[in-house]
Amino acid sequence: MDAVTASPNIGRSIPRLEANDKVTGRIEYIHHLRLPGMLYGKIFRSNVPHARIKSVDVSAAEAVEGVFQVVTIDDIRKVIPHPYYGPAFHDQPILADGKVRFAGEPVAVVLATDKRIAEQAAALIVAEYEDLPGVFDEVDAMTSQTLVHDELKPAATFPDLQHLKGRKGTNIALDYHLVRGDVEEGFAKADHVFEHVFRTQQVMHTPMEPFVSVADAQDGSVTLHTASQGPSFVRIEIARLLGLPENRVRVRVPHLGGGFGGKLYIKLEALVTALSMVARRPVKIALTMEEQFFMVTRHPCTFTIKSGVNKDGRIIARHCEVVWNGGAYADIGPRVTQKAGFTSAGPYDIENVLIDSYAVYTNRPPCGALRGFGAPQTAWAYECHTDMIAEALGLDKIEFRRMNILREGRPQASGTPMVDAAVEQAMDHTLDLMNWKLPFDRGSGKIRRGRGVAIGFKGITAPTTSVAIVNLYGDGSCALYIGTVDMGQGSDTVMAQIAAEVLNIDPAAIKIIHPDTDVTPYDMGTLGSRSTYHMGTAVRLAAEDAKAKIAALAAELGLPEGTNAPLAELLRRKYGMQAGNIIGTGSFIPDYQKPDTKTGQTIKGTPFWGVGASGAEVEVDTETGHFTITKLVNVADVGTAINPKMVLQQLSGAAIMQLGFTTTENMVFRDGQLTNGSLADYKIPNLLDMPREFINDYTQSRQKDGPFGAKGAGESTTIALSPAIGNAIADAIGLFLPDLPITPESIFRALQDANGTPLAGE
Amino acid sequence: MTSFDLVEPETLEDAFKWLGVDDSSVRPFGGGTALMLMMKAQLFTPVRLVSLRKLGRQFEGIERSSNDGSFRIGAMTTFSQLEHSPEIRAHLPVITQTMKTLANVRVRNVATVGGNLAHGDPHLDLPPVWMALDASATIVNSSGTRTIPVGDIFSGYYETTLEQGDLIAELRVPVRPGWRSRYIKVTTRAEHDWPALGIGLSLHAEGRVIKDLRIVLSAAIDKPTRLIGAENVLRGKEIDDALLKRAGEAAADETHIETDNRGSAPYKKHLLRVHIARAVSALVTE
Repeated sequence: MDAVTASPNIGRSIPRLEANDKVTGRIEYIHHLRLPGMLYGKIFRSNVPHARIKSVDVSAAEAVEGVFQVVTIDDIRKVIPHPYYGPAFHDQPILADGKVRFAGEPVAVVLATDKRIAEQAAALIVAEYEDLPGVFDEVDAMTSQTLVHDELKPAATFPDLQHLKGRKGTNIALDYHLVRGDVEEGFAKADHVFEHVFRTQQVMHTPMEPFVSVADAQDGSVTLHTASQGPSFVRIEIARLLGLPENRVRVRVPHLGGGFGGKLYIKLEALVTALSMVARRPVKIALTMEEQFFMVTRHPCTFTIKSGVNKDGRIIARHCEVVWNGGAYADIGPRVTQKAGFTSAGPYDIENVLIDSYAVYTNRPPCGALRGFGAPQTAWAYECHTDMIAEALGLDKIEFRRMNILREGRPQASGTPMVDAAVEQAMDHTLDLMNWKLPFDRGSGKIRRGRGVAIGFKGITAPTTSVAIVNLYGDGSCALYIGTVDMGQGSDTVMAQIAAEVLNIDPAAIKIIHPDTDVTPYDMGTLGSRSTYHMGTAVRLAAEDAKAKIAALAAELGLPEGTNAPLAELLRRKYGMQAGNIIGTGSFIPDYQKPDTKTGQTIKGTPFWGVGASGAEVEVDTETGHFTITKLVNVADVGTAINPKMVLQQLSGAAIMQLGFTTTENMVFRDGQLTNGSLADYKIPNLLDMPREFINDYTQSRQKDGPFGAKGAGESTTIALSPAIGNAIADAIGLFLPDLPITPESIFRALQDANGTPLAGE
Repeated sequence: MTSFDLVEPETLEDAFKWLGVDDSSVRPFGGGTALMLMMKAQLFTPVRLVSLRKLGRQFEGIERSSNDGSFRIGAMTTFSQLEHSPEIRAHLPVITQTMKTLANVRVRNVATVGGNLAHGDPHLDLPPVWMALDASATIVNSSGTRTIPVGDIFSGYYETTLEQGDLIAELRVPVRPGWRSRYIKVTTRAEHDWPALGIGLSLHAEGRVIKDLRIVLSAAIDKPTRLIGAENVLRGKEIDDALLKRAGEAAADETHIETDNRGSAPYKKHLLRVHIARAVSALVTE
């Protein structure tokens, strides 16, 4: 255990503050909210992937008793003249505007007094389309003459995306480049050059609580009650759309039933705001589980990786070309392209690196952030590639990694030094937990066993700001005003532990004031493993500010320095009764240097490094391809674990999620149509799919500039898991599979191909 | 979901009255688990639903005949009742075995034997098992009663031979001395997925010689179907690897398997070959 765990509140697995209210069904979710006079909206969606809209006939729907109105973009334009939104590009219309760009895109909304009536009426809307050719594959989209957007509209909201322009006349929304050394020269000097192509599939966040938002627009102001991970961004973007100052837009967020990056930026919020303005009534839209497939998903990607390696096993050059399938609207895809782009050469110390990373538009449902910002897709490629090289050169796979691993203080490909990044430690701890040095049973007959290890890392979105307020009341009790959204990860509890540590009070007695932009200060968003580090620091600063003010008050009252008089007593003395407040504020933005737009070089591109290592043991039935993960180990560097139990829950949750993305989950498209858009046919893992042995742990390490040595933990175990399983399968059957998901059929086909008896196609 | 009438008749006469209209949006239901999914997905919009839960004795209970030991199982028997019946466990253990991987506890507590058959979904686990067990169904309607083999209920993908006003009242399941049975649920994605293929297998063997058998395939085809060709390869023979291989080939040849998200047709045919051979071999040597 870390030295700091000796303190009363840090390193303690106190129960979640909200646990009791959750299990007794008392916690607030937006799904339960009903406002007086509220209308329910049901979305009518396009059934074609790319088309011009010839007509939308809403007459039958409007004739249904109980229908208030059917709304199309024409109605919305009357209240919002430029109805386009998005965090990176203002490319997404609030409802389809003349054209549809994916099958499932919202075209119209029925507003009714009852949600069942709205649903029934929506089925009566008839749209006529003039089909356009579609482009669905990311590699095709790079060169296709079919353009998803005729015009690219950069948003320039975030500092890390201000250079976005897009490439006119193409589907490329962003191209990101990183240049270190001279990669061509490196390849020329190398003894061996390896090139492989890897692909990942489109998958979905599947939060238990589907998207839900309620808007209540008044003249010149609007209140949003929404299941959002980023209330501050929602306020800024809605204010921009409506031409209002920020203080006229109020965004409230209670608890969330999961988010995983899906509920970031604008999702239903612009639509319900527009509908409420049109109807002049509060409006609620709650998606079904099935509709979530059309909201936001994870980027499929095609990654061509080429490495030059010396005969002694040193990697001296690497070229990564990563093409990200962003779907019809950019959402935050450009940041995925950039964030995952800059670490896509892996946690290795390579002299010559060239990274070309492209976000492209296609006629698929939009893709955005999903637990790892693209890092899991890139690690799938670079870590399978690592094993393939070691295999080809006859090198030990662990020693090959060790020979090339990025060590503390060495510059990563971007030039930013690796600081407080326990990559090798995480790998070593994984190997220990795998009993790597013990003999391994490789199976016999039709059953083959194998094991594999992978490591990975990610940069953190930068620069981003968190602001916190600590409010101590007249009786000395404490509330914490923060914009961090507790969506199940346990941030309320961790933030309370940090404040409690500074103020020397009981964390369980602290009240967390949930995001309400009228009350809570700015936070960039609950995303990308940033809250514990960023908001945690802001909370620490706010608590220290409050503590300093208490000391000043004591001095003002003539008490000796270091007095232990309770705050309630101090305030009573000052105001003559139980009254007054002590308000501490804290604001945090980490150091950052904008990368050079041509070379991607920066000395400070990330505030900290997310680090994960995974190991897997598998058993493959070579006669059917069926496989079982008999053991899965995941180790993350989280710095100090402020609440160890919740950290382990985060690590295991992230691992199970990525396990689904590795083996069972796949959005299957035919001609741009999703063919498995329900949980009956899109399979997330359940208890029966858990590995027989499932171990999650963290390294004993410390993020020196994090709050009490802590950093984020939400994504780390998603990074290296897929390639650990892929490498274990390869170890078992002697063949590498380049595409996710790994399925019994993909294994069986690979085996048959290798035997020279390929299985027929479909 | 829009509003509809729900009626709970207490006599067959009343049930037939409520159902006796030429309107496919008037449906009977048992547990309603499958129907609710279709209604939520707007695939089915009922005008009237007729619950069979108050129809009484003829539709309820698990009883063994004192003559031949066969079972009479009321159509409204829930899967949980089957799962926890000591009699079923003792004499039809394959049913108890199948329940472990069939849906989940909440569904098994509600879903009924009759509704499961009338639904006509080819992916369901129990129909191939009933067929392998030589079960028959008694069907009642306003003009009388008829008893047919369970396999004759199915006519295609979600299609049955049941007419408007027909109600499955009960199942008759023989207990065949010397027979052993097994259900093989083959999933290709999550463990708990619908099967890519389901195989109901029942056989009577002496040593390694198969005297008689039933092989029923579901999920990979449009309706649960006996694989007569594969049965003929094996019937009366002593099994060995070559014979099992021929049986697998016969099974693959006599079925029309479609590609879907659970696997390509060639892959599922391969799985059929492998799992028939494995299951027959395992049952014979059990």
